[in-house]
Amino acid sequence: MKASLRWLSRHIDLSGLTPETIANDLTLSTAEVEGIERFAPATSDVVVGHVVSRERHPDAEKLSLCRVDVGAGSGPGEALQIVCGAPNVAAGQKVAVAKIGTKLPGDLTIKRSKIRGVESFGMICSARELGVGDDHDGIWVLPENAPLGASVASALALEDFVIEIDNKSLTHRPDLWGHRGLARELAAIYERRLRPLDLAPPATGSGAAYPVAIESPACTRYVALVIDGVRAGRSPEWLRHLLLAVGQRPIDLFVDLSNFVMLDLGQPNHVFDRHRLDALGAGRGIVVRAARASAAETIRTLDGVERKTTPADLLICAGDAPVALAGIMGGDDSKVAPESEALLLEVASFRATTIRRTSSRLGLRTDSSARFEKALDPHLPLAAAGHFARLLQSIAPGVRFPAKPTDVGVWQDPTTTIELRAERVRSALGKPLPASEIRGILERLEFGVEATSVETAGETFRVRVPSFRATKDITMEQDLVEEIGRIHRYGNIAEAPLTFTIAPPARDERRRLVRHLQDRLAGGGRFRENLSYSFIADALLEKLGASDEPHVRVINPVHQGESRIRRTVAPSLLPALEANRRHHTDVRLFEIGKAYEPEASDARGEPRERHYLALAWAGSRPNPKTARWDGSRLQKLQAVVEDLVASFGLARGTWTKDGNPPRWAHPGKSLFLALPGAPHAAAVVAELEPGLAPKLGLAGDLDSEVAVAELCLDALLSAERRGSAYRPLPRYPGIKVDVAVSVPEATRAGELVALVESAGKGQVVDVELFDLYRGKSIGEGRKSLAFHVLLQSDARTLTDQDEQKFLQRFEKLVTEAGGELRKA
Amino acid sequence: MTAEDTLQQARERIGACADPGALKELEREYLGKKGAVAAMLAEIPKLAPQARKADGQRANDLKQALQALFDERGAALATTKLDALLRADDFDPTLPPPRALRGGLHPITQVTRELEDLFTSMGYEVLDGPEVELDHYNFEALNISKDHPARDSQDTFYCDDAGRLVLRTHTSPVQVRAMEKRKPPFRVIAPGRVFRQETTDASHDHTFYQMEGLVVGKDISVAHLIGAMKTLLRGMFGRDLEVRLRPGHFPFVEPGFELDARCPFCEAGCSVCKRTTWIELLPCGLVHPNVLRAGGIDPEVFSGFAFGLGLSRLVMLRHGIDDVRHLLSGDLRFLEQF
Repeated sequence: MKASLRWLSRHIDLSGLTPETIANDLTLSTAEVEGIERFAPATSDVVVGHVVSRERHPDAEKLSLCRVDVGAGSGPGEALQIVCGAPNVAAGQKVAVAKIGTKLPGDLTIKRSKIRGVESFGMICSARELGVGDDHDGIWVLPENAPLGASVASALALEDFVIEIDNKSLTHRPDLWGHRGLARELAAIYERRLRPLDLAPPATGSGAAYPVAIESPACTRYVALVIDGVRAGRSPEWLRHLLLAVGQRPIDLFVDLSNFVMLDLGQPNHVFDRHRLDALGAGRGIVVRAARASAAETIRTLDGVERKTTPADLLICAGDAPVALAGIMGGDDSKVAPESEALLLEVASFRATTIRRTSSRLGLRTDSSARFEKALDPHLPLAAAGHFARLLQSIAPGVRFPAKPTDVGVWQDPTTTIELRAERVRSALGKPLPASEIRGILERLEFGVEATSVETAGETFRVRVPSFRATKDITMEQDLVEEIGRIHRYGNIAEAPLTFTIAPPARDERRRLVRHLQDRLAGGGRFRENLSYSFIADALLEKLGASDEPHVRVINPVHQGESRIRRTVAPSLLPALEANRRHHTDVRLFEIGKAYEPEASDARGEPRERHYLALAWAGSRPNPKTARWDGSRLQKLQAVVEDLVASFGLARGTWTKDGNPPRWAHPGKSLFLALPGAPHAAAVVAELEPGLAPKLGLAGDLDSEVAVAELCLDALLSAERRGSAYRPLPRYPGIKVDVAVSVPEATRAGELVALVESAGKGQVVDVELFDLYRGKSIGEGRKSLAFHVLLQSDARTLTDQDEQKFLQRFEKLVTEAGGELRKA
Repeated sequence: MTAEDTLQQARERIGACADPGALKELEREYLGKKGAVAAMLAEIPKLAPQARKADGQRANDLKQALQALFDERGAALATTKLDALLRADDFDPTLPPPRALRGGLHPITQVTRELEDLFTSMGYEVLDGPEVELDHYNFEALNISKDHPARDSQDTFYCDDAGRLVLRTHTSPVQVRAMEKRKPPFRVIAPGRVFRQETTDASHDHTFYQMEGLVVGKDISVAHLIGAMKTLLRGMFGRDLEVRLRPGHFPFVEPGFELDARCPFCEAGCSVCKRTTWIELLPCGLVHPNVLRAGGIDPEVFSGFAFGLGLSRLVMLRHGIDDVRHLLSGDLRFLEQF
């Protein structure tokens, strides 16, 4: 919303206030001012000149050679010689002259120049060049009485500043969509009086009122005024300039006046050609009704677009023919013809939601619809009609109003009364405002205030909310607190410390776990934390073969094919691998996030939410000749996961292959971690499914060894904790024994560890696999595993004999299990 | 050879010896079990008894003199070697050490943690709320009526045609969830991700992060809100920043404000504050009575304030990030900078 200070001055005396002051005060008390601009700044730099003589340019038919007197003490003989190309320049005119050195919009600086051999000492300007119109027909001819040599801005009273107010900060204030309402705010802020404005309808003839029938509750009031005896011509300059200042293009008297009334009072209105209405409607007058479902009615609006309607739309019709999309835009068929002298002014009230829905469905937002959406004061239509009529009368004294305005509709006066407790204001604002100030502020905002009774000692008021504030914004006591606070200024309230009983917040295990995982991974794990979108692309799900999985979906995605919300987090990391592998040999990402399972929704319809940690680790494949037996990324990631679990203090878990491998996982290389106490696997670690890698772009130069893991935070939180009791240090030294066994391929390492422990009869305190070997010396289908074993006793120092006994028992067990103890 | 000759010869040889190993060898030659002094001592029993004492004395003197020479030379050689070690290594300070891979936390996490720590230190509880949220908590309970423009599908991702389930458009739904499970007084914050159905560009993303704050108690006022926000800024920027409250309209607060802070990056206007010296930092206000009621709290007895901080925006401000879409890009070249 743009507001002109010159325009505001029609309503309030702004003397002594700079544009900056006004802008700042509005921002702090009312609505955010986004900027201040000088209107048509170039008009201040050009001066009024008098064309003393005009001759044809000796060397160019279409150019004129003018002598222009620009005053400034110079006699007529010293007039400037200016070459002008406009066809309408003539001797005797007053014109706008840009002298040498003047800067015009578009980075144009006037210089002394030669045009076709003749010197020119300035430029005679068009209105368009000075930013005060878009007249194409030549130079701007100024009024004859414009003072010679004065700046055009001061000579024509064009000096103005325009403040731009953020529309979003006005959504709840229908009263501020016109200059009158803004002036009312300034009156309250500066404690000045609004100038009186007579809005009563002018004297009318006694003819029959124009027939109007309202058939829809979406129209609550319709005022129609018959106007005769005046044609659409050019508006007076003051009107054109005010409209230009706020960014409206002047068109003709009726359009301009309609816009002026809207921008002045905030009430949209429309002027019809009455003859056309009568022709279209066969003289049946105006009918306001919903569009018909069956007829699929269309209307061509003023912008020339043919628009289809639905029964949710409200139409203004002449008889049965639609002539306007109510509250949004007039129809092309009923617009005022240049020669017409028979008009009908419409000023109405419409239901805000109806206008908003139609406007939003059609994508047609106009100055009119923007205002109706805000729920306008139903008192306004008659006042606005009066304003229009009085202004028209002052501009075109020949105008006739043959009949009283039609005023129909069912509407309620929204004016309400709210009880206000001064103490409530004080406790909400945190400042001991005197009752007199509370009362004063409300009265300045045109609220009616009276003390309720003697008993309350002037501390409780009955506050009458004026209708222009009561449609939407002010409905309760708290709303009045805001009025008082903003006019008093929040900046005048001193800060106060909160006082509470001191108590630490409850221990938050989930947050503790999240932080632990993040720190551990970002630290020793050397992983980078990533955050990705909750949306998961259909294309990715297709690559994963997971399109069939149930997902929460949005019905209005921003990007086609991205309507699903992830149900686990790990897939989100996969698309990031390719791009990162282009410039990184080692890519380690983790993400902690939420995922949703719609099939497990609760009674209220909320899908089950799970929290996951996902890890992805990609890098070039190791050289098989030099690779260590435990150097696969899968095993390294497994180690990372074990570290996360152990360092959080959870009891040791077991790795199994008993689980459903996720779609991204190599089914043969998927490991599930079962933790005591957790209802389901707490983690899955797997190699990327080999068929998926090329689909993710991980092929050729980017061919990678990829391991992915996903941990369910909910499972981790329900898992058992490891005991925290201290274990006494060993009193006797232990014996380190290395054993190597050759076993068939199918034998699991875990079985051998169990054999070691069994052979140790309670003396084994540590078993560590340190080599896994396959090769000719071992034989086809076999493998060799070597362990460091630590034997130790709490009762005595173990001897060589103990070692020998252990080895004998172990060899026996290994042999029974189909293996063979390898001698060092 | 006389003892004097032996000593003389040894002195010369020791003096000429520059290697600790050779010196040890030499020491063995004179003082070892089969060395010169040992041979000399072995001769003594064969001498006449009267000569034994004098010769024994001489041999012992020689032994001591030799030992002193060896010790002295040994110490000198050790010092020389140490000096050489200390002198030799002129290490190139620009030689790069092996590259270590570094992990790190997302900048959103970093700023979230700072704020969580700041608020928990003041007794606030940190809450979490669902991202797929019921319409009730996201709108209805927050006094955002069915016809409010905020509910337009241009702003909200809807999860069903009935409009029961949405992707939360702000962290504010945590307000009513918090009220339902608590009795005043209490104070909570709720950081998290939120969604808006809008076209993305350098300054807009459909997914971003916010942090909600809510304090409910008796006689909570605008003055308290101003105090709490100043404390927040002090914690965030490490110094006092001037603030201003101006009217701002949000359905779930009344009165509602926009809180601006003096731009921490300039004194006379810069690109961050769009030359105004003020930064629009957070919307806030006193909790609307209807919201308290929706949370089961009597607005005649209790009042509260709430605020919403844009975490994504804060991260962008702090690091001068010019494109919001970097935050969720998964690009290591971006993530590694934090």
